[in-house]
Amino acid sequence: MQLKKPISGPLAAAACSLLGALPSAPVVAQEAGDWDIDTSLLYYGESDGRVTDVSLDVGVRRALDEDRAFNFNLTVDSLTGATPNGAVPSNTLQTFTGASGNKSYTIQPGEQALDPTFLDTRVALSAGWQQPIGEFTRWNVGFSSSNEYDYLHLGVNTRFERDFNLNNTTDYVGLAYAQDDIEPVGGAPIGLSPMLAERDDGDDDDGDGGNFRGGGDQSKDVFDGLIGVTQLLGRRDLIEVSYTYGQSDGYLTDPYKILSVVDPVTGVPVAGPVGGTPYLYLWEHRPDSRTKQTGFVEWRHAFDRDSLALSARYMTDDWGVDSQTVETRYRWNINEHSYLEPHLRWYTQSAADFYRTVLFDGDQLPEYASADQRLADFDAYTVGAKYGRRTDYGEFSLRVEYYRQEGDPSPGSAVGDLAGFELLPPLTAYIVQFGYKFRL
Amino acid sequence: MRTRPAATILRLAKLASLVAFAMTATACTTVQPWERDLHARADMQPNAHDAAIDDHIYFSKEASSGGRGFAGGGCGCN
Repeated sequence: MQLKKPISGPLAAAACSLLGALPSAPVVAQEAGDWDIDTSLLYYGESDGRVTDVSLDVGVRRALDEDRAFNFNLTVDSLTGATPNGAVPSNTLQTFTGASGNKSYTIQPGEQALDPTFLDTRVALSAGWQQPIGEFTRWNVGFSSSNEYDYLHLGVNTRFERDFNLNNTTDYVGLAYAQDDIEPVGGAPIGLSPMLAERDDGDDDDGDGGNFRGGGDQSKDVFDGLIGVTQLLGRRDLIEVSYTYGQSDGYLTDPYKILSVVDPVTGVPVAGPVGGTPYLYLWEHRPDSRTKQTGFVEWRHAFDRDSLALSARYMTDDWGVDSQTVETRYRWNINEHSYLEPHLRWYTQSAADFYRTVLFDGDQLPEYASADQRLADFDAYTVGAKYGRRTDYGEFSLRVEYYRQEGDPSPGSAVGDLAGFELLPPLTAYIVQFGYKFRL
Repeated sequence: MRTRPAATILRLAKLASLVAFAMTATACTTVQPWERDLHARADMQPNAHDAAIDDHIYFSKEASSGGRGFAGGGCGCN
């Protein structure tokens, strides 16, 4: 889309006003006694029959006065589809055992190994309270929670903000702590132990698999510290810079992901052990600690009618993942009732040190290994746009986006038969979001 | 592993130049309360609702999360 050039000068502004081209200018602070309600229905669908998510999101904000406000957010996600289990394709039929041990599934020769046995509903609830402390300082406190059938997240967070320099500068510092409980179907697997064959289980009445995989329930603790500053750069520009330090400890492995073990010359999967699947697959294993550091900068510019936001993020962690994200949105205020907002996002990450597409038979087992595509070396981009229309009943919006993730499809570990397969197939997804925002 | 640092550094350098230019051009300016009409516009405010939705999608599909604030909770395993 061609961006409109900014119109500058009082004469131009006056002309625009006369023509009604300037959008209405709502004030930042909410009026006391208002309930602001922001709702959306989201569809996220991946190609090739992979994950589909339908999500309902309701956010409520109530301002009691200029500085005191309460907010509440509810999200309900319904996930269906199939997700890569981590195994590589093969020229033979591959049979895998579901996490509960009660079901198995078969993948055709040459096909990507997708686990079709998951179906999940996630409910997330969060709330926050903002309270002034003195004239120029605000204190926010909140909690977050989310629940899936095998996962419970509980967290608290707090943030102090201080305005100074005639409110041209706001600095902030925040802390968040979360405690997550993971109760995987079939129990957490023992890291790098073989996938067992389907069992005939008369004992497991509720179908949750008991502790079929031996590792039982697990937990993790996540701590985040945040510091940042927002600075006005004149009448039209604003910049925000922040730094986040994150520390996770505990069970950080994905309990449903495996790795194939193949012959180092032919690339053919090797036979499984007695009591195991026909071919050998090992449950992945990640370190039990992760430290992440993230730098973020965003610049926003107001044109007479439109606005532009540009942000960049750099993340590095002690797993060997470095990532960069650049994102921009241009808000084209078509008239006082409607707008169009094109959006571009570009992302790149390096692989985690322990990322492997496969493990080779005969090699010494590494301490940690994962074939999870999310820890691979890849680039991703998002292209989309949002259209919004204000009416007497509130604001309606429609957002459509396309997401694509692409890595090296045939990395160095593609030996023998594996050279003919896409070991890291691209991921594409469409995102469609209907929004309705209103004030009571 | 693929090589990409040159392109990334170029992009970040361009962004840094833009930010540095903006800061230099306006460093001595203090925005007075009556000059905040543009900053007060709704489209100049961050959209927390959409940002939270995007954060959860990317948290579930990539190895990074957060930046704008705290990352959301959940497994994101699928």
